[in-house]
Amino acid sequence: MAHEMMILVLQLGLILLFARLSGWFFSRILNQPQVLGELIAGMIIGPYLLGSINIPVLHGPLFPLSGGTIPVSPELYGFAVLGSIVLLFTSGLETDLPTFIKFSGKGSVVGLGGIIVSFFLGSGITVLLNPAVDSMMHPTALFLGTISTATSVGITARILSEKRKLSTPEGVTILAAAVLDDVLSIVLLSVVVGMSAALAGSSMSWGNIGIVAVKAIGFWLICTVIGILIAPLITQKLKLFDSLDLIAGLAFGMALILAGISEMFELAMIIGAYIVGLSFSRTDVAHEIRERIQGVYNFLVPVFFCVMGMMVDFSAMRSVFWFGLAFAAVGFIGKLIGCGLPALLVGFNIRGAIRIGAGMLPRGEVTLIIAGVGLSSGAIGPDMFGVAIMTMLFASIASPPLLIKSFKGGSGYRKSLDKEGKDVVSIELAFPGYRAAEFMRRSLAEGFREEGFFIHRLDHNRLVYQLRQNDIIFTLIQEQEKLIINTAPDNEPFIRLMMMEKLLEFKDFLSGLESMKSPDMMGAELMKGIFSLEED
Amino acid sequence: MKLKKLLTQSMISIDLQGTNKEEIIGELLDILMKTGKVSDRDLAFADLMNRERQMSTGMQFGVAIPHAKTKAVKELFACIGVHKTGIEFDAFDEKLSRIFIMTLSPVDRTGPHVQFLAEISMVLKSKDARSKLLQAETAKEALAVFGL
Repeated sequence: MAHEMMILVLQLGLILLFARLSGWFFSRILNQPQVLGELIAGMIIGPYLLGSINIPVLHGPLFPLSGGTIPVSPELYGFAVLGSIVLLFTSGLETDLPTFIKFSGKGSVVGLGGIIVSFFLGSGITVLLNPAVDSMMHPTALFLGTISTATSVGITARILSEKRKLSTPEGVTILAAAVLDDVLSIVLLSVVVGMSAALAGSSMSWGNIGIVAVKAIGFWLICTVIGILIAPLITQKLKLFDSLDLIAGLAFGMALILAGISEMFELAMIIGAYIVGLSFSRTDVAHEIRERIQGVYNFLVPVFFCVMGMMVDFSAMRSVFWFGLAFAAVGFIGKLIGCGLPALLVGFNIRGAIRIGAGMLPRGEVTLIIAGVGLSSGAIGPDMFGVAIMTMLFASIASPPLLIKSFKGGSGYRKSLDKEGKDVVSIELAFPGYRAAEFMRRSLAEGFREEGFFIHRLDHNRLVYQLRQNDIIFTLIQEQEKLIINTAPDNEPFIRLMMMEKLLEFKDFLSGLESMKSPDMMGAELMKGIFSLEED
Repeated sequence: MKLKKLLTQSMISIDLQGTNKEEIIGELLDILMKTGKVSDRDLAFADLMNRERQMSTGMQFGVAIPHAKTKAVKELFACIGVHKTGIEFDAFDEKLSRIFIMTLSPVDRTGPHVQFLAEISMVLKSKDARSKLLQAETAKEALAVFGL
């Protein structure tokens, strides 16, 4: 026992060192997603490469190959699983449900198209090129189909935000489609896990498949609806404890419990974690929870990606290399056509359709999680796991340049988009200087905080803040000596009243300053104090 | 929910008698005193008048919202008063003020206090609501304007 624990902490230590450094190198130096760095670190130090070297003091290698379906020790895999739960909990938490709902029409058509086309192309080519997989109902075909559906919009979102294209019709459609994509591929995963569990025992009738699908979708729907309805009530009650740390801890605890319950129902654990995150995403403490979970995230999520890299068996991949390339290419085409064609139908031109297709290409976390679940359940072998990794690497490296290139040139929308932002009012106040505006910004923020608002900074390069209390959301922006508040018309009187109150306080503060004794004299007294020690 | 708890019939006066700002504020404060939870009438009055000196709370269309943060209360209190003929309240549009909404909120407690004031004032945005309130003959009728 002591020996295993010693090995485990050594492994975790080494993983953290390599994964974090390699992640930093990939994101800062190579300008690639951090995930890739962590994944590749795992491949290098894992049991199939450097990790297999015998270390005399340990009486064996640091990462010995374990016998089961997964090549690392169960203890280490446990940490990786925890990492995947944290990952999905936070992506649930970050889901922008209102944006999704607002653009859900176009987004759903695009997302659904992408999922259907890629699933059938992915599982189709698996059946076609692998003699061992005889039908689309084979667990391997099901898993590979699911693997090709997941989009990782993080990469797209980062690029579009850098190029200031996030609020274009293409940008919002991609974001909305990606939310649907996440949800549907996770639902699909639960159906597929259930089906392959049932398939392992006996042959599968369509009736059984129906039962599994209904069970998976039912669990998903019931938990999500209940979660979204009760999360605001739960937070309301939890606020009485007056400790955001406690709220964050309890929310994460609930994510772990629902993850366990999902597994109990033969669904993947991450589904439960995602549902809890999604439920809390609508509450006003979502950002506070997210912030407090960040420390755990920084530690566990790189462990997850690194361990996923460790599972790549290079020798097993050799036999499927060409299939892997073909699969990755088909996955590419599946998203381009599956998302691009529907985009043409909902008002985009060819240019816009290509942009949307390109934006939906990147694969990432969810792909890995699905592949990991498949590997640990035995539904896919190390060879097909390698195929999933290849697809992900291929998509993540090839899609950013394509996306950037596609966004050059004119509009991708056939008619000008209806002004979505017209139901927002802007209240502006100009001050005599930056300092005065800053003072006012801080005291306004303080005033809203006293009213029960939660404030968080949206953009780290600019002074843009989001203020939120239950369903009231607005933004506070400082641009040099100007303060701007953007809000829905309903909140306008309240905000004006608050601004007026704070302006009066400001006036009070100024007249207080005037009555202060001369600043020169105060300064002189301060100066005197600096050298007083030397005097005697 | 909160509106219902704070605004009861005893918190309404449909016939204020004061003839100037100080008398009106005193009268409204006396309504709040009925809750038994305003610990220091003089302090609350001074805080309210102090707020008026910074800038009058007389808004447009005869509505005024005298309010203050004060150590005299530990939670939010609100009352509504109507003056049949209207008095000079230094209103923003220089008209006489006839409808008064008063709130007292604690100094160091977090809560939607300004928001509450904004919400009741919003009801009086429509001309229809204002004239109904002015014509109300009982406290019950006045409350009905606020959907209570």
